[in-house]
Amino acid sequence: MRPDLDPEQLDRYSRHIIMNDVGPEGQAALLDTDVLVVGAGGLGAPVLQYLAAAGIGRLGIVDDDVVERSNLQRQVIHGDDDVGRPKVDSAAEFVTGLNPDVTVDRHELRLARENATDLVADYDIVVDASDNFATRFLVNDACTLSGTPFSHGAIFQFEGQVTTFSGDSPCYRCLFPEAPPEGTVPDCATAGVLGVLPGTIGCMQATEVVKLAMDYGETLEGRLVAYDAAEMSFEEIPVAAKPDCPVCGDDPAIASVADASYEGRCSLAED
Amino acid sequence: MQIELRFFANFREAVGQKTVHREYESDLQAGDVLRQLSEEFTEMDLFEDGDLREYLTILRNGTDITHLDGLETALEDGDELSVFPPVAGG
Repeated sequence: MRPDLDPEQLDRYSRHIIMNDVGPEGQAALLDTDVLVVGAGGLGAPVLQYLAAAGIGRLGIVDDDVVERSNLQRQVIHGDDDVGRPKVDSAAEFVTGLNPDVTVDRHELRLARENATDLVADYDIVVDASDNFATRFLVNDACTLSGTPFSHGAIFQFEGQVTTFSGDSPCYRCLFPEAPPEGTVPDCATAGVLGVLPGTIGCMQATEVVKLAMDYGETLEGRLVAYDAAEMSFEEIPVAAKPDCPVCGDDPAIASVADASYEGRCSLAED
Repeated sequence: MQIELRFFANFREAVGQKTVHREYESDLQAGDVLRQLSEEFTEMDLFEDGDLREYLTILRNGTDITHLDGLETALEDGDELSVFPPVAGG
């Protein structure tokens, strides 16, 4: 790739460019990468902040929620004046205000079986910053079936988990084949979450995306980091491919997102 | 022999602590420990019709037991058994 940076970009990204391991080529790669961020909430906020600042060329933002005051304790791209506004609008404004280099695609919708495949196909890397199992399984299936690398991050009270999937095997379903029955694993709204926790996990997700875009370093492929903010500990859990995985296994039952249901257990569709 | 039991996310809430050290008789399998926990803590709903619930990840010394011998995975003195549910928050 020909590093074709204008004088303003040479200035803006100078701290990247002077690094031997990034350089103008690395920065040009970031500017040439299209990333889809699913969720503009607790995880999506730091992900969007750092990917925008890093000069990811195009950022797609998927969210169908509006900003609520109870979001502001952790969703740092939205302000008090944004309460009641669509999160995609508030997030897009933040990104453009930080870095006009970035093209923003606002997708004010819920990721669904009907739109997931086409949306994912339009981007190089996907970030799962969603807040529910249905979306998480859909992101996994659409990305794994299309070979799109994606970053997984999830949070619960003081605990977070983060890993990276290459779009091949293993995938999220190798770790968790199906979703728990509704109500068994509480979400942020019912269980609460330490406000700064998604900052830590989201920054790790953004780090992984930047490395994937520059094809640099060791990503979290094949290992999941479990973070405990209460004791400030990180541990690694190996993620291995399961031969009977319904998506990336030897004889997969899910060959398209149409084969699965994304309600309830996120397993095979009844029909 | 002693086993270190480790709980994540909502199971940590159910047990009330992150780590528990327990004494067991020898000839112990992962399934024995998990069934006992399931009976002891009502919120640890680990089984469905006798099988471990699909959405759980159980790790013996960091390795998913489905890559070992499943519920029949033998445990030894000093082993660590972790109960790891998926979480969705974001």
